[in-house]
Amino acid sequence: MQKAVAVIGGGVAGIQASLDLANRGFKVYLVEKNPSIGGRMAQLDKTFPTMDCSICILAPKMIECSHHPSVQLLTYSEVKEVKGSVGNFKVKVLRKPRYVDERKCTGCGICSENCPIEAPNEFDENIGVRKAIYMPFPQAVPRVAVIDKENCVECGLCDKVCPAGAVNREQQPEEVEFDVGAIVVATGYDLFDSSVIPQYGYGRFKNVISAMELERLLCASGPTGGHLIRPSEGKIPRHIAFLQCIGSRDRREWINHPYCSSICCKYAVKDAVLIKEHETDSKVSIFYIDMRAFGRGFQEFVNRAKSEFGIEFVRSNPGEISEDSKTNNLAISFEDPITRTVQSISFDLVVLCPALIPSKGMPELAKTLGIELDNYGFVRMEDSVRKPLDTTVLGIFCCGYCVGPKTGDIPDSITQGSATAARVAEVLASEEAS
Amino acid sequence: MHEVANTPRGRGVLACIQCGRCTNSCPVSRVEKEHNPRKLMEMIILGLRSEVIGEQLPWYCLSCFTCLDRCPQGGDVGEVMFALRNLTVREGKIPEGILAQAQSLFDNGRVVTASRMASIQREKYGLGKEPTVDVEAVQKILVKTQFDKLINKGKRSL
Amino acid sequence: MKYAFFAGCLIPAREPQYENSVKKIAPRLGIELVEMEGTNCCAPFSIQSLDYTSWLALAARNLCKAEEMGLNIVTLCNDCYESLLMTNTILKENKETKDRVNQILADVGLEFKGKTDVKIFSDVLYEDVGLEKVKDSVKRPFTGLRVAVQPGCHLSKPKRLHFEQWRGITALDELVEATGAKSVPYERKEACCGGPLRGVNDEVALHVAKQKLDSIKSAGVSCIVTVCPFCFIELDMGQIEIKRHMNEEYGLPVLSFAELLRVAMGMDLEDWELKAHRIPITGILGMTEAK
Repeated sequence: MQKAVAVIGGGVAGIQASLDLANRGFKVYLVEKNPSIGGRMAQLDKTFPTMDCSICILAPKMIECSHHPSVQLLTYSEVKEVKGSVGNFKVKVLRKPRYVDERKCTGCGICSENCPIEAPNEFDENIGVRKAIYMPFPQAVPRVAVIDKENCVECGLCDKVCPAGAVNREQQPEEVEFDVGAIVVATGYDLFDSSVIPQYGYGRFKNVISAMELERLLCASGPTGGHLIRPSEGKIPRHIAFLQCIGSRDRREWINHPYCSSICCKYAVKDAVLIKEHETDSKVSIFYIDMRAFGRGFQEFVNRAKSEFGIEFVRSNPGEISEDSKTNNLAISFEDPITRTVQSISFDLVVLCPALIPSKGMPELAKTLGIELDNYGFVRMEDSVRKPLDTTVLGIFCCGYCVGPKTGDIPDSITQGSATAARVAEVLASEEAS
Repeated sequence: MHEVANTPRGRGVLACIQCGRCTNSCPVSRVEKEHNPRKLMEMIILGLRSEVIGEQLPWYCLSCFTCLDRCPQGGDVGEVMFALRNLTVREGKIPEGILAQAQSLFDNGRVVTASRMASIQREKYGLGKEPTVDVEAVQKILVKTQFDKLINKGKRSL
Repeated sequence: MKYAFFAGCLIPAREPQYENSVKKIAPRLGIELVEMEGTNCCAPFSIQSLDYTSWLALAARNLCKAEEMGLNIVTLCNDCYESLLMTNTILKENKETKDRVNQILADVGLEFKGKTDVKIFSDVLYEDVGLEKVKDSVKRPFTGLRVAVQPGCHLSKPKRLHFEQWRGITALDELVEATGAKSVPYERKEACCGGPLRGVNDEVALHVAKQKLDSIKSAGVSCIVTVCPFCFIELDMGQIEIKRHMNEEYGLPVLSFAELLRVAMGMDLEDWELKAHRIPITGILGMTEAK
């Protein structure tokens, strides 16, 4: 039996599971498909309801992962093959080439400064740009640059200016194989593409953005340095609308997310408060079906949002958005729930809160691991009451949002990460004993 | 509410969560204050029968089904409108325009018959006569379903 | 390709020019339209509002006629399409309802067996004839013609008609482009024209038509192409009425897709057909070139 664990997914749940397991004496291989760990939490500005700086509370854990003697980070990597069974899995991981030598790169960033090519910045949800050779984000772990070969023009500037001579264009994809006793799936979520519902204008109207794009606009390390501006011309929005349940709680067959994504009401209120803190004389309206602010501190937070920050809560779910092509303002027609009359109001900026869906690539990963997914594509638990952290394959466990929206916010993901670590230890101990 | 739910096409009212997306999408609700699909569903759910059935309310609907297309819960608002209208008609309230079409259907087998100009044009330009109608068969069917009684009740109420 | 031709009430009675165009283009595309004898009104929205069983029985009678002919039914009008398709689906899927309706139909010597399918003419062109053949039939393509396609409510509500995506809209746009014209996207393409309330609540109908015309106007098009005869009347005649009551003018000619294709095939519309369009269409009909 191998006293080692592979954790797939370097978000907060995966990071927590890795640290707990490593501290228990397991060797942990933390596999992350992006060039840095951190996941969604690293993209957020503040967390609710405490309004802590998200990356500030995550970064220490990320660093601990990278420095822990028992944790091996395999970033920019994907699991390609898994054989064996509980206690003895053989895992094959493909490490994508960064074209930068991890051992030599000091993370100084001189390469990016000199690179002449710009490309959309995925970490910033494609608002703003990064260079062809780039650091994923300022607090990236590992702090190693990566070259996007598709956009790179091979000018060779970075090779010249790098003080550590870390650029290596000959780098090949590397296959890494290792043996583990258990595997943890912590692959998190993606955002539903709201352009699937064309009536909301996402992808066509410049000032209709998703909540994650808003997070990046509000974040001090984001593309606008934390200044909230309208994508169309950079002016400060004065009248902002949040639309809840775009794709969530939707039973229509071609959308098929009848579930509630469970965190959107909470983060919308948080973002609304953040906007009011940034621009005190702006007007923010949240259009909702139900305001689901369950758990400790959240209803209080909503109440504060109303009384202290003057955020407007409108219980009406808009069906469509119109754009004024001259001003790029958005008009939303809705029934005012109090006066019961239909009116049309103009907004500078509309934020859509889309359904949260399984991470892209889940079907392939599930096939590689041999685990089952539920009918929405989330990881299926072996038994939601008796074995909520087990997948349908013994020895493979799951935690965080990849299991579906029943998991709530960051504390929930951290709790599940720790719980899964304990479960792994328990199962492996009993395997050893038998 | 259960009366409507058990009327054909009325089942959707049981799924309504009052989110308002139907009203917010309805082209009529923007031009006619009286028409508010969400409110109509609310009144059905609350059992305000006399306000909903037998009044003008269900007759503003275009049956364009935008509401049905947008409803996230399968509330089928556009269908419920038909159930409402069916119930309203049984109490004798039918708008004049609809009654005229119904009468034409009973008398001619068609809701609208050829205008004089159209008849002339058809003959002149080689389209032949209007497709034949079996009025007798239509009337037989409509008597069996008691459609004629509904028309008469509607006429008496006008 | 042989179909039972269900013309409905409105087109034969008020828009014979639409029927004329269809009958002129069908043979060139290999479509044989067999006249149905002794049909009746499909039972559109107004009749459905009165009584459920009457609707099903009336619509089913037409379906039985097509079954007797051993052919699939093709309609021109969206409302007919919806009524017949929904009835066909309901009776095929629901034995209890089917038995109840058959009891009524027995009185007139008919029985619904569920052996026919319902198609609308634009879908016949798109699916059965195929885009390639339609393109080949175009001898005089339009050039520089910007069109706003009005698919009509009943072709743009997927859930209602049990299909997954806006198939009706995509098909129509591609068909229009096969004639050389450009189908210009515009907001709220699926919005209603207001037609169903014509004669019932004219004020509301006209205001809804105005909403539709406003969103079409912002797209910068030269004309509107319709499928449904209700849409045609409401958007064509409606513009005259809007000018009279609301003092707003659009000057957008409206014509059915069949007419558009007929001209693109190289045929000319006759005088009486041109006169049927309240907003003159002669201007845009000239925007063609020889192939």
